[in-house]
Amino acid sequence: MPVEDRRGGLSGPPGIDGVVPRETIEPPSADAVAAALASASKQRASVVIRGGGTKMGWGRTPASVDLVLSTKRLNALVAHEHADLTATVQAGARLDDVNRALGRHGQWLPIESAFDEATIGGAIATNDSGPLRHRYGTPRDLLIGIRVALTDGRLIKAGGNVVKNVAGYDLGKLISGSHGSLAAIVSATFKLSPQPGASSTLVASFDGADALTAALAAITSSQLEAAAIDVHAGPGPAEAGPHVSHVAGGPPAHEYVGAGFSRPSRLLLKFESTPGALQAHVRQARALAAGAMCEEVAGQSETDLWRAHMRRPWQSPGMIVKFAWMPASLGAVLALVEDVRASVTGIELSGRAAIGSGLLRVDADPRVQRNVVERLRSRTDVFRHVVVLRADTAVKQQLDVWGPLGDAGALGASVKHALDPQGILNAGRGPV
Amino acid sequence: MTSPERGGGTSPERSRGIDASFVSELRRLCGDDAVVTEPLELLTYECDGLPHLRHTPPVVVLPSSAEGVQAAVRLCHRRDVPFVARGHGSGLSGGALPIPGGLVIGLARLNRVLDVDIPNRRVTVEPGVTNLEITRRVAPHGFYYAPDPSSQQVCSIGGNVAENSGGAHCLKYGFTVHHVLGVEAVLSNGDLVQLDSAIADAPGPDLLGVLIGSEGTLAIVTKVTVKILRKPEAVQTLLAAYDNIPAAGTAVSEIIAAGIIPAAVEIMDGVSLVAIEAAVHPHFPPAEAILIVELDGPVAEVREQFAEVEKICHRAGATTVEVAQSEEHRARIWKGRKGAFASMGRVTPNYYVQDGVVPRTKLPEVLDRIRQLEARCGLRIGNVFHAGDGNLHPLICYDEKIPGQSDLAAQVGGEILQYCIDAGGSLTGEHGIGADKAEYMPKMFTDDDLDVMLAVRRAFDPKGLCNPGKVFPTPRLCGEVPGPYHAHPIEKAGLGERF
Repeated sequence: MPVEDRRGGLSGPPGIDGVVPRETIEPPSADAVAAALASASKQRASVVIRGGGTKMGWGRTPASVDLVLSTKRLNALVAHEHADLTATVQAGARLDDVNRALGRHGQWLPIESAFDEATIGGAIATNDSGPLRHRYGTPRDLLIGIRVALTDGRLIKAGGNVVKNVAGYDLGKLISGSHGSLAAIVSATFKLSPQPGASSTLVASFDGADALTAALAAITSSQLEAAAIDVHAGPGPAEAGPHVSHVAGGPPAHEYVGAGFSRPSRLLLKFESTPGALQAHVRQARALAAGAMCEEVAGQSETDLWRAHMRRPWQSPGMIVKFAWMPASLGAVLALVEDVRASVTGIELSGRAAIGSGLLRVDADPRVQRNVVERLRSRTDVFRHVVVLRADTAVKQQLDVWGPLGDAGALGASVKHALDPQGILNAGRGPV
Repeated sequence: MTSPERGGGTSPERSRGIDASFVSELRRLCGDDAVVTEPLELLTYECDGLPHLRHTPPVVVLPSSAEGVQAAVRLCHRRDVPFVARGHGSGLSGGALPIPGGLVIGLARLNRVLDVDIPNRRVTVEPGVTNLEITRRVAPHGFYYAPDPSSQQVCSIGGNVAENSGGAHCLKYGFTVHHVLGVEAVLSNGDLVQLDSAIADAPGPDLLGVLIGSEGTLAIVTKVTVKILRKPEAVQTLLAAYDNIPAAGTAVSEIIAAGIIPAAVEIMDGVSLVAIEAAVHPHFPPAEAILIVELDGPVAEVREQFAEVEKICHRAGATTVEVAQSEEHRARIWKGRKGAFASMGRVTPNYYVQDGVVPRTKLPEVLDRIRQLEARCGLRIGNVFHAGDGNLHPLICYDEKIPGQSDLAAQVGGEILQYCIDAGGSLTGEHGIGADKAEYMPKMFTDDDLDVMLAVRRAFDPKGLCNPGKVFPTPRLCGEVPGPYHAHPIEKAGLGERF
C-alpha cells in the first residue's frame, strides 16, 4: 500500500502503477515541449506529462509508457500584474513557490493542494482543489488564459490577460480536468485574490449525523459567508494511530486537533474577513452550530489544522474515491460511511459540505473497496461522478477508475481525437 | 434584408436545403403552429440586438420541447441545412443573426421553470426562461441568481449560456460559466446529451465549460441547471465625483490595492454624464467623472471596508462623496448608470457602442488614446466603463444624416478595439464576437489558435451546421465593417439597456 513520501506524493511501486517509463525528459522551454510532443507523435510514443509527480497514480493503469515529459524546468513566475490582480505562471511552478512570490504584494492564487510539490500545470490538469473551493472555486474558475503545446508541435493560446473576456472558445476550460490527455500546458494566466485581512476557524464536532446536517442547514441558510465549510467523518487521530505511525512525511495530524476529534463527525468552518468583522462571524457560527462541541482555532494552529485536514486521507492507507453528492444529501453520505464502517479497517470522509464534493478513504480488502465504489455508483440519485483517485493496481484492474462518463464520453473522445489524433497523450490512462 | 453575404459562410449547395419539402417536413415534425413562414412575422427574426446586421430567414421554427428541437436539428442535419438558435434576441453581436439559407430555431416557447430546489441550491429551467425569472422564483426564499446582465428582464438563460453573460457584479461573482452546473443540449446531429460542468465535479475535460460562451456554435441547450446564492446580508453603495477621469481611476486602483473586491465599480465620464443628467435626472453632482462603488457581504465586514473605500475616494480628490442612505437612493444612483446608453439620444442623433477590455492599469493610457482619437476624428466619444475589470464601453456620437459619419463612427470603433488589443486586452468583455467582430479575431489570435478552436468546433459539429459564420472570421465578401448603433426595439420600449 502506498504511503506518502517526503515530497507529499506517493512512494508506491516505481513508475506509474509499476509501469516504468522508457525515458524521462525535462524540456527547458515551451518550444522544446512542443518539439518533444511532435517527435513523440511521429513515433507514436505514449507520453505522460509530469509536474510535481504528486498525482502520478491517478488514472487507469497504463499498458506501457514510452516517455515522461516533466515540466520541472518550466517553473517561472512570468508576470505578476499586482495592480491588475493577475499573474502568468509556467506550468511546472510549484503552487507554494508561486504563492510565496505573490504574497509580496499581499495577493495569492487561492488553489490548495494536499501535496507540497503540486504544480500549476497539475492543478489545472486535474482541476484539483481544497476546502477553499467553497469561496474561490476550482482552478478552472480562476484561469483566464492558457498556453498549451499540441502533439503536432504547435503552441497555441486561448483566453488572455484580462479577467473579463469572451473572445473565442475558452480552451482553458477544456484543458481543465483533462488529466494531460489533450495537450501539454506550458503556462497559464490567473485572476488572483487579495490575501484575507484576518481568518479564523471553528471546529464544530457532533455526536450524530442528524445534528451535523441540521447545523449545516442552519449555517448555509444564514447570511454568514464562510471561506470554507468542510465535513470530516471517520476516525480521529487516535483511532487511526497505527497507520499514522507509518507516515514518513509531515508531523502527525493529531497534534493540531482538539477534543472534538473524539466525536465521530465534525464541520470545519473557516472565516476570512477584515480584522474588525471576523469575530462577529465566528460568534454567529457558534450560535448556529447548536449541539456541537465548538473550538476556535487561529494563527499558525489554524494553518496547521487545514494542512493536516487536507493531507489526512492521503497520509493514511486505503483507496481514495472522489465523488459528488447533492448538498442536501449529506445525511445519506454519512449513513453510508457508518454502514461501511462495520466491515473495514478504516473509513474516512473529507469534503466540501455545502458544495457536496469530497474524498472517501476506504481501507479494506479489495473486494470491499470495489463494493463501496459500486454502491456509490449505483445511487445515481444521490451520488455523482465517482472517481477512484488512489487504489492498489489489484483494485484498479477490477473497475474503471473514471466510472461511466455518460454523454461526455463520446464527445470527449471526439475532442481528444481532434487535438491528439495519434492518441499518444496519457494513452489508456486518462478520462478521454 | 441586406448584406446576406456577411455572417453566412455557407455553401450554395447548403442553401438549396430549405425548399417546400423541407418546410412541409418541418411542419409534420414540429406541428403547423410551430413553423413561421409569413413574411411579416419573419421580420421579427431578421436581427438580434445588433440591428444593422440583418437577414430575413426563409423559415423559423418554434419548438415547445427538446424533442421538437431535436426533430428540427435532425432534419437540418439530414439536409445539410445550417441553423441558428435564438433566445429572446437581445444579443449585441449578431450571434443570432439568421444564416442565409438556414433555419432559425427560436427557443421562446421552451420557457418552463422545471425545478426550484432550494435545499440543493439549484434551479433547472428551459432556455427560454429569462435571467430575472430565476431570481424572481427564488427571492422569496432569500436567494438569487448572480449573473445580472442589464438586459436581465428580457434576456434568456439559453442566450446567457451561449454568450457567457456577466453583468455589473461579475468582478466579484463571475460569469455564467461560474454558475451553470449542468445542461441538456442538442448536438448538431440531433443527439440529446446531458453534460455536467466541472463545478458539478464531472471528471474529464470540462466540455460544458467550453460550450458556455461558444455563441451557439457547438450545440443548442434545451435545459440548464444553475446554482443560486444566498442574498448578501448588506449592500452599500457610494458615488464619488471627480474633476477628471485619472483621479477616479486612482481611487479604483487604491481600493484594489487595499485588498477590497467590490461587488461593482463603475465610472462614467463627462460626456456621458451630460446625457444621463438630461435623460434620467439622477441628480449627480457636477463632475468630469463619477465613480460608483458597491460593496456587499456580511454587515460587519461591509461596514469596515466601506469606511475604507470612503476614505480612499476622498484621498483621490473627490469633490463630493455621496453614500446611498436608502434603497431608493441606491436605486437612483444605479438608474443613472444603467440609463447611460439610452441617455445618449439626448446629446447625439446616433451613437455606436463598443465593447473592449484592457487590463485595469492600462485604463488611463487607453482613455488618453481615445481622447486623442476624439480630437482627430471630430466625433464626440463618451465613456462608460466597468472600471473594476477594465471593460470599456465607448459611445461614439455621430449623425447619420451627415455623409460619411456613420462609416467614420464604425472606423473609430475599430480603432478603439485596436487600442484594447495593443494594451494586452480583449475584443469583447461581454457582448460576444458573433457576426459583428468575427473579422477582428485575427488581431487577438494567431491562425494556429483559431485553427485549434475550429478543430474543437468540428469535434462537436463535424458538418459545421451549428451557427456557421459567427465567432470565426470568414473570407470577407464585401467591404463591410462592424456598423453603427441603432436602438433595439427592446431598448426603445424601455425594457432593457446596453450595459
